[in-house]
Amino acid sequence: MARSVWKGPFVDGYLLKKAETVRNAGRNEIIKTWSRRSTIMPQFVGLTFGVHNGHKFLPVLVNENMIGHKFGEFAPSRTFTGHVADKKAKRG
Amino acid sequence: MTPEKLVCLAAIAGVHGVRGQVTVKTFTEEPESVAAYGPLQDEEGNSYRLNLKGQKKGMLIAEIEGVKDRNAAEALKGTRLYVTRDALPPPEDAEEFYFADLIGLEARDREDNSLGYVSAVYNFGAGDLLELRDEDGGERMLPFSRDVVPDVDLDRGRILVDPPPETEAGSGPEDEEKNAPEA
Repeated sequence: MARSVWKGPFVDGYLLKKAETVRNAGRNEIIKTWSRRSTIMPQFVGLTFGVHNGHKFLPVLVNENMIGHKFGEFAPSRTFTGHVADKKAKRG
Repeated sequence: MTPEKLVCLAAIAGVHGVRGQVTVKTFTEEPESVAAYGPLQDEEGNSYRLNLKGQKKGMLIAEIEGVKDRNAAEALKGTRLYVTRDALPPPEDAEEFYFADLIGLEARDREDNSLGYVSAVYNFGAGDLLELRDEDGGERMLPFSRDVVPDVDLDRGRILVDPPPETEAGSGPEDEEKNAPEA
């Protein structure tokens, strides 16, 4: 069942506070967090979070398309064994 | 003479039918493009030309020229198929790099200290990530962005890395209580 709309999106308070601090300071820091359950909010756009996957912190550069998703969706916790030979990486 | 760099595009996973067709697991972005880079070769240098016939359970069904019966096809089971790196077209954008080119590059910081080498490139939906592995086996993930990786020198086989500072957002509600203003 989906979360009730009247509650609003869930986000851990300490993460919201930390994101505001980093944004106001204008620093380009990776915000390491274990809060995979937090929803990505509009004020996170442009910040980079290090989301823990149980083993290490995976950098997640937040863009507008990620709003409403959870951080955990971008840091898989299972071992990834596939590879794509002709795939290209684009430097952002 | 340096050996040509090979890129694994596919592997023969099994056989299909009695006429020598095989099922091919592809490692290309578009499965059908496995045959687009010219003839494939195995580790020994034997050449294979694929004719794609269809799809089955996420794999391609293909005919290999010169393979006409099931026994010959079964003998090829498990064969990995490669092309030389030169067979891949150059990236259209100067900011684009093949995963195969990035893997193995040495990472150095601005003071020319070695940070290890690129062991893998991932994309989990939040941009491309480089996995660096140092000599002690330690792993580290970095975003593949212009700020963090200002220079990629494929000729010298190294990248310049400027790791961003990190800060912790706390580990849970306990931190939130700790940080809460006193009443």
